[in-house]
Amino acid sequence: MNTQINSDYVPDVLVIGGGIAGLQSALDLADQDLRVLVVERNSSIGGRMIGLSKVFPTLDCASCITTPKMSAAAHHPNIQILTNTEVQAMETRNGIHSVRLLQKPTYVNFDKCIGCRLCEYACDTEYPDPFEEGLGSVRAIAVPFTNAIPQKAVLDAEHCATCGVCARVCPTDAIEFDQQPRTLTIHTDSVIVASGFNLNAVTVKPQYNAARSSNIIPPTMMERLLAPHGPYGRVLRPSDGKIPSSVAFVQCAGSRDESIGVPYCSRVCCMYAIKQAMLLSGALPLADITIYYMDIRAFGKGYEQFFQNARAMGINFVRGKVARVDPIEDGDLRLHVETTDDAENPLQEHRHDLVVLAQGMIPAWNPAATTPVACASDGFVATPSLTDPTATSAPGIFVAGAAAGPKDIVDTIAEAGAAAMQVSRYLHEKRAAVLVGQAVHG
Amino acid sequence: MSEHNQQVQPQKNKPMQNERAADAPLRIGVYICRCGGNISDVVDVDRVAETVKLLPDVVTAKVHTFACSDPGQQTITNDILEQNLDRVVVASCTPFLHEQTFRGAVSRGGLNPYLYEHVNIREQASWAHKHDPEGATIKAIRMIAAAVGKLHHVEPLEQIKLPNHRRALVVGGGIAGMKAASELAGRGIKVLLVESSQRLGGQLNDRGRVYPTERDAKELVEELARRVRTHSNIEILMQSNVTAVSGFIGNFKVAIRTEAAGIPVTETTVGAIIMATGFRPYVPQDGEFLYRTEPGVVTMPEFLQLLRSTPDAARKLTWNGRVIRNIAFLHCVGSRQLDGVHEPPPNGRLNTYCSRTCCTTILQQALEVRHRFPSVGVFDFYRDIRTYGRGEENYYSAASRAGVTFFRYNGEEPPRVELTPRARAKEGVLSVTLNDTLTWGTELSVPVDMVVLGTGMMPGEIADLIEQMKLATGEDGFLQEVHPKLRPVEVSVNGILLAGTAQGPMNIQETLAAAGAAAVKAAAMFAREDVELNPYVAEVDLSRCCGEALCVTQCDYEGALQMVSMEVEGATVERAQVNAGLCVGCGACVAVCPNRAIDVNGWRLDQFEAMVDGIAAAIPGQECTPELVNIH
Ligand SMILES: Cc1cc2nc3c(=O)[nH]c(=O)nc-3n(C[C@H](O)[C@H](O)[C@H](O)COP(=O)(O)OP(=O)(O)OC[C@H]3O[C@@H](n4cnc5c(N)ncnc54)[C@H](O)[C@@H]3O)c2cc1C
Ligand SMILES: Cc1cc2nc3c(=O)[nH]c(=O)nc-3n(C[C@H](O)[C@H](O)[C@H](O)COP(=O)(O)OP(=O)(O)OC[C@H]3O[C@@H](n4cnc5c(N)ncnc54)[C@H](O)[C@@H]3O)c2cc1C
Repeated sequence: MNTQINSDYVPDVLVIGGGIAGLQSALDLADQDLRVLVVERNSSIGGRMIGLSKVFPTLDCASCITTPKMSAAAHHPNIQILTNTEVQAMETRNGIHSVRLLQKPTYVNFDKCIGCRLCEYACDTEYPDPFEEGLGSVRAIAVPFTNAIPQKAVLDAEHCATCGVCARVCPTDAIEFDQQPRTLTIHTDSVIVASGFNLNAVTVKPQYNAARSSNIIPPTMMERLLAPHGPYGRVLRPSDGKIPSSVAFVQCAGSRDESIGVPYCSRVCCMYAIKQAMLLSGALPLADITIYYMDIRAFGKGYEQFFQNARAMGINFVRGKVARVDPIEDGDLRLHVETTDDAENPLQEHRHDLVVLAQGMIPAWNPAATTPVACASDGFVATPSLTDPTATSAPGIFVAGAAAGPKDIVDTIAEAGAAAMQVSRYLHEKRAAVLVGQAVHG
Repeated sequence: MSEHNQQVQPQKNKPMQNERAADAPLRIGVYICRCGGNISDVVDVDRVAETVKLLPDVVTAKVHTFACSDPGQQTITNDILEQNLDRVVVASCTPFLHEQTFRGAVSRGGLNPYLYEHVNIREQASWAHKHDPEGATIKAIRMIAAAVGKLHHVEPLEQIKLPNHRRALVVGGGIAGMKAASELAGRGIKVLLVESSQRLGGQLNDRGRVYPTERDAKELVEELARRVRTHSNIEILMQSNVTAVSGFIGNFKVAIRTEAAGIPVTETTVGAIIMATGFRPYVPQDGEFLYRTEPGVVTMPEFLQLLRSTPDAARKLTWNGRVIRNIAFLHCVGSRQLDGVHEPPPNGRLNTYCSRTCCTTILQQALEVRHRFPSVGVFDFYRDIRTYGRGEENYYSAASRAGVTFFRYNGEEPPRVELTPRARAKEGVLSVTLNDTLTWGTELSVPVDMVVLGTGMMPGEIADLIEQMKLATGEDGFLQEVHPKLRPVEVSVNGILLAGTAQGPMNIQETLAAAGAAAVKAAAMFAREDVELNPYVAEVDLSRCCGEALCVTQCDYEGALQMVSMEVEGATVERAQVNAGLCVGCGACVAVCPNRAIDVNGWRLDQFEAMVDGIAAAIPGQECTPELVNIH
């Protein structure tokens, strides 16, 4: 891994995004002796997956599956990784893609930083830890999280009190308060867009009142609560640290609804809700757990069995629409549910002390604005080819993972391999054509 | 071309680091992983570290939150360099996940990667003894002691290198097989594509317009068929079957029989095999939903055929001479079956899985009926609508708008298809009866002229290939990958890859992606001159072998062990010889050899003995009580 790269470095492939899709593509390309540059805008690679607890359908711990791929990519001689770097724009001329990167200042010289964390220990300023979904706190200068790659401290300028203590304790003089953003253009023959997804806001449906209660939480926060190395090391609800006794999952809380601009299915929420429910019932054997759903979409290999196991474990599945969530006394929540399960009592009210909203998946980045890559009406990268599902509208540019629509890890990894295959075929054919051309003209 | 039974022996080269004086004590480093909490919530890892530090020649024992993370690995690498370690133990999760990871870290420290022992204290200690922290902690200590014992008896090993035939066999010429073949060919790799039928394209032949593109499947099939037919790197054998497979990664010998008369059996060598044999549509049992009892009950493929053969200009949909006025579509026929609810088929295995493609196919067809024949009533009976894929939810909303009427049943109470009582028969001879959960469980009976069974996917009939290649199948009967996330297209036999619906239900896009993923693994494998295998294979000590051949009789892997003639002190004798490519290191031969003349590298008998001694030995502060030994 090398963090100092200049414009004269010409990779065979530039991969946008260091999530599981980007890393898998990079590894499959590098194993064919192609040179790959992975560009990641966060301060660690790993994407969404590194923040998950355990992953369906096998319930492996997410770190255990992600870290080896992160580490393999970081140590691969054919892979270079740039973190804290965002792809801003791209243009293509004569088959060469020029990708403009913005390297954000980290205020730490990565060549000097040895990851000793003395700065982090010395720093006095804390802010809510974004990796822990704001549940714990992190110092203004810190290595992003335990298994982050690279293990380099990054200073958050927004929260830094500029006291200078980090610079004083740093044994290698790595702190550089005067770092400036840097733009850099990389020229490459091919690109894979693996920029992944975001979740729409928990507040996207005002009737769910997420703004009024910290006990109405995003599913990513539940992942952190369930992670064995999570912020509290156990499941506690955010408002008062109480151990929840009745947890509700509200499905389709940001998907399958034209009125909020997300008419499509987010594809993973049924399965992660079931997974979280199972993990919760392990962590809190006494808690009641209810999943309010429209359709259970357990379509993948082994997924239906996973769903049936959850039912057998006693998790409550209630088919119906949650019309409203109201914060009530003691930090609890009242759900107004229209259910078709109970003829006597179709309009029900249920009290829970923690509510997880299955938000919708939306694109993390819109390449259509600044690159030749077109997006479809759902906002995700368009894949117009009938035979090549990872080809975008632009020749030589491919797409993998959630950047091309909501997707679980299994499907993401398959697509990442497919994109890598298409790139290597594309490069092989392109270079063979150049050789033929040279033979003809020379 | 190298012969398939050629001899390749693991090379025992000098270790990467300078050899220390033979009698100098070892320097062993032990690393204990918390696995976030997966281990340390049960096992007292600090106590483990303190205790194992007292074991012979252990010079350091450290605890890490995630040993597999980069800083965790870095610690190991640095310690090797700085503390001159010459043996390493990591006690963490199953070796299946991370043995390779830590061998890599050990190599980066300049140590031979086989001077490393992996101890699984997560699955085998913390998870197995969740409610007994004390016992789990002692067990972890003892397991590490065993590994330390073994490390006193290991030598450096080298990966076995075998020649690599840069050519792939693709079995099955559906879209998965054609996609994998054309990708590899485009990458400069030779491919042999074998299709058992007369046509390329598999189940998508004659499918008509497919969701979500609404393009004719023919376009897709023809485009892929054109690519495979015109590419000079691809050789196609139609109406052909693979009849024999032997050998190993880089060097599989296959025999292929072609149906047409006069063509001899093709025997050839390939480096990798891609299984793209696809699926079989589910065919209901006789009488299941009155199938084959009532002509108005048809499967989805039969219905697709009916719509396709009905001219575009037709104003009416007719079947068996009858005009269809109402159609019922039934979801989950032959999928998501439940024990005690569904009748098991003759093989006794229920299809408990979801077939992934039926919901959207049904909605697409329901819409098509409403558009082409607006007077036909369409009723949809579902459990959950699973229009999960990109562009699929639109079919659901469009179907609702187009006047398709939905009914929902619980899996435990599937709808019944019956003959309509005479009084209402003019509304439709068949009726579908259910407790409709959309109307709070009201029992409803809907008379219709036709019932379309939304039949799903079944595993292909490839028992012979499964047997030949020693492939694993899952509970669902489809081919089973090693791990859905770590090695999703690989099987436990190296060099064999899975593409498309041979592995489980998938739609077109997923099939093409899976085929690409399989192809890329083959491409990476072919990027190397040689294939490299683990050195854990049997080795014969010729000074002890007396040619009794007990080992050969015991060996389950054809060709892995055989008797060869050789000269010993002027006489010709028979001695056992191992083929490293075929040996799996199971050790069956070791157990039967009366002379201890055969052993498995990396798992030798003296190493096992050292492990047992390590488990049982007294450790300071750790009495070796009988119940302690019982834990194992
Ligand atoms: C709550 C929750 C639980 C889940 N649980 C599971 C589960 O148990 N099992 C399962 O299979 N799936 C699960 N998933 C789905 C899983 O998270 C996704 O399948 C997976 O993360 C997709 O990987 P990706 O690499 O495509 O995208 P991401 O993980 O989103 O990675 C994309 C990366 O690209 C970077 N990036 C974006 N734009 C740019 C840019 N312009 N320049 C540089 N970098 C950029 C981002 O910072 C990010 O690191 C879950 C999802 C959620 C929300
Ligand atoms: C009713 C129905 C409708 C569908 N509609 C859609 C749709 O609209 N959109 C969509 O995306 N998906 C749809 N699908 C899914 C789609 O059919 C599959 O994704 C696709 O056909 C899978 O291709 P495959 O190559 O994996 O398998 P197959 O199509 O089954 O091809 C396998 C090939 O292998 C050959 N073969 C098998 N065994 C051997 C052997 N031993 N030796 C040599 N050759 C062998 C077979 O003859 C066949 O040619 C539908 C599925 C069904 C059941």
